[in-house]
Amino acid sequence: MQSAPILSIQNIDVFHDTFQALWKVSLEVRAGESCALIGANMAGKSTLLDTINGVLHPTTGNITFLGQEISRLDPFEIVDMGITQVPEGRHLFPEMTVLDNLIMGSYTPNARRHKDKNLQRVFELFPKLKDRQNQVAKTMSGGEQQMVAVGRGLMANPTLIMIDEMSLGLAPIIVDEIFRTLQKIKAQGVTVLFVEQNVVKTLKEADRAYIIETGRISLTGTASELRDNEDVRKAYFGI
Amino acid sequence: MMGYQMHLKPTVLIGFMVPTVLLAILPVVGAPRSWLIYVFLFCIYLAMSNMWNLLAGYSGLVSLCQPAFLGIAGYAMVIGTWMGIPWWIGLIAGTALASIFALLLSNAVFRLTGVYFSIGTLVVPEALRMVFYLWRPVGGAMQGGGAGYMVKGIDGLTTHHFYWMALAVGVASMVIMHIILRSDLGLGLAAVRDNEKSAAASGVRVFRLKAYTFMIAAAVTGLAGAAYYLNSGYIEPSATFNVKWTMTMLLATIIGGVRTEEGPLLGSIVAVILYFLLARYSGYSLLVQGIILIVIMLVSPQGIVGLLRKMTWYCNLTGHVA
Amino acid sequence: MGSGELLTPILMGVMLGGLYALSALGLSMVFGVMRLINLAHGDLVVLASYASYAVMTLLGINPILGLLITVPFMFILGILIQKYLMSKAVTIGTEAPLIIAFGLSLVIQNANQIMWSPQSRGINTVYSQASFHLFGRQLPMIYLLDFLGGIVVMLLLHGFLKWTYMGRAISATAQDTRASKLMGINTKRIYYWAFGIAMISAAVAGTFLGMTFPFTPTSGTTFLTIAFGTVIIGGLGSMLGTFLGGIILGLVQTLSAHFFGANTQMLTVYLIILIILAFRPQGLFGR
Repeated sequence: MQSAPILSIQNIDVFHDTFQALWKVSLEVRAGESCALIGANMAGKSTLLDTINGVLHPTTGNITFLGQEISRLDPFEIVDMGITQVPEGRHLFPEMTVLDNLIMGSYTPNARRHKDKNLQRVFELFPKLKDRQNQVAKTMSGGEQQMVAVGRGLMANPTLIMIDEMSLGLAPIIVDEIFRTLQKIKAQGVTVLFVEQNVVKTLKEADRAYIIETGRISLTGTASELRDNEDVRKAYFGI
Repeated sequence: MMGYQMHLKPTVLIGFMVPTVLLAILPVVGAPRSWLIYVFLFCIYLAMSNMWNLLAGYSGLVSLCQPAFLGIAGYAMVIGTWMGIPWWIGLIAGTALASIFALLLSNAVFRLTGVYFSIGTLVVPEALRMVFYLWRPVGGAMQGGGAGYMVKGIDGLTTHHFYWMALAVGVASMVIMHIILRSDLGLGLAAVRDNEKSAAASGVRVFRLKAYTFMIAAAVTGLAGAAYYLNSGYIEPSATFNVKWTMTMLLATIIGGVRTEEGPLLGSIVAVILYFLLARYSGYSLLVQGIILIVIMLVSPQGIVGLLRKMTWYCNLTGHVA
Repeated sequence: MGSGELLTPILMGVMLGGLYALSALGLSMVFGVMRLINLAHGDLVVLASYASYAVMTLLGINPILGLLITVPFMFILGILIQKYLMSKAVTIGTEAPLIIAFGLSLVIQNANQIMWSPQSRGINTVYSQASFHLFGRQLPMIYLLDFLGGIVVMLLLHGFLKWTYMGRAISATAQDTRASKLMGINTKRIYYWAFGIAMISAAVAGTFLGMTFPFTPTSGTTFLTIAFGTVIIGGLGSMLGTFLGGIILGLVQTLSAHFFGANTQMLTVYLIILIILAFRPQGLFGR
């Protein structure tokens, strides 16, 4: 089931001021798949997502999305092209209602055209949000906020949705529920890239994965390949 | 209390002392009066911008209330002369009063950070200006109903005396800066400026440090102001509690090079030159100074010293590590 | 001096408060979105006063109608200042915006002085001498206009922030800048708009202030202090708080004039601000 890459990252170096966070990172995400980026804290996962999104820029290397070079573009241009990030810690607009948060997700011209269609889609995927659409975001539970955050990401009408550390601080039941929803999203044709620390869970949900350690990609393969890999088993499963 | 190590390059030490001695003997060798005025003003500006550099550059306190200090010290001295107190006691008293005022102010303004602090301090000279408009502490009204006072009891003093006074204040300010920057106080200030919370967590007594610095700056600024008004012979609220002083100190420090020891020195030279260039166009002086300030901040925020430090000959000369 | 006498200064203080709140709106908005307090705000308000004065004396247009000219003028000026000065300043260092704003403030003061001389001016219109009656007291009409002007602008701004995409984007950026970028919001453009809108409210505030009080090139410091004090008392981030803060300061001013004489008005205002700064810097209603 090999499909074409929609996002292709080649040999990028990324710095935070003088500190180098990513070293010659190469990665690709294929159409319609669910791809994972696994790594410990401070390994560079969030930095990578921010670089793809245009919040940070690589000093060398390039990033191509749907055939276009995007490493020099501003975030708002990249979002308009179809990449959206659900950030770590959710970062909802605390004073706004669920509905307002979702509407803010459809800010770009591309997204605004499909606002009503996407709003309906989000409410179908997350029925609970439909009931609570007028509730102020900061009063919601962690799980509900995560749903809003994912929904908000979908409102941007993305081709690729990137989710950073979704399971942090959430009960396992809720995490499962959201992963099930992600499968539905994937079935609707949206490519998913998600970043996690929880290796076991990730290798169950993803098609392919990359393992990142201190700013470098150390391993890649399909989920089953990685599950069988000696080093992975030793490092992450203690076997 | 304060540790101090001296490690001046000989070239710097000589480079500092020789001009000082030369300047000191200027009046005696019959230098033209205009030269004396230039140097007088230079020394006053130097003292004030050194102190502003100490606050804004090294302590992260962008203070806009300097006119309050020089005004309090000046008024204390002048009013003292009206009450029969000799000018030099008034000078010392005024300096002390400015310092105490700074201490009192600390309680109010140190809770504020950044711009809040600056705006809070901006209000103080304004308030004082109004106070001294309405309040006649001694003596009758001036002819014509003005709010000013002349300085009394200074008949025995000549321009030379004021000149040497200013020179002393200017030199003292350089010495004080030099000592502070190498002392524990200076180290603490650097820590606070870098990250106040960590500094506090490391045991730095943040409030105390800031208060000491504020008081020192107030004292020296006050002293310089009082010396200035001794020379002018006259003090009144609107010129004293005036943002023009703040602009001069700011400009001198920024043009020279904020957060450097030599910066205020070079900047004060420029400030004096500017003063005389613009003297004929006093209506435009703040406009020109403001534009210069903005341009310098955008183009070369490190000032003249910033540019000089990029050259190796300068680093070798001053012992500065590039 | 019975309590009946108090009613007039109280009513006037409340009405004045609406105007003060308006003058603080710009300051509050710029801070909310960009975490920047514009030191030159007061002088920009005075600039607007002079602009309205010019419109009236040179073109003979009523200053309220003249807002059609002064508002776009200040809006464009605001965008230019943000684009060419403030956005650059932020990249230079933490003190840079402050110092540049200081320089800007004095440039504006001096420019006004060159153009209009230090002599104090006032925008005199048909409303200047008119009065109206409320609760049996005779009050200056201009104060009522100040209050109404303040309320109208605040309601318009509130509506803009809540109902338009751009307005919501501004609120969003103020609440969480990082998330806004990820939503595809062009934060650079948002900053221009925020500054521009701040200038619009400054334009209206300056016009009405000029019609209420005499002003000079150096009035900027007073206006900045009042705007700053309003925001401090009301607490940043709350439009209602700003409104109440304005009313409190307005009352402080008129009551102090009533009890201690007109000379002491501004002094009392300054003192109250310093006291609140000392004891409750987050304001009465702040977050």
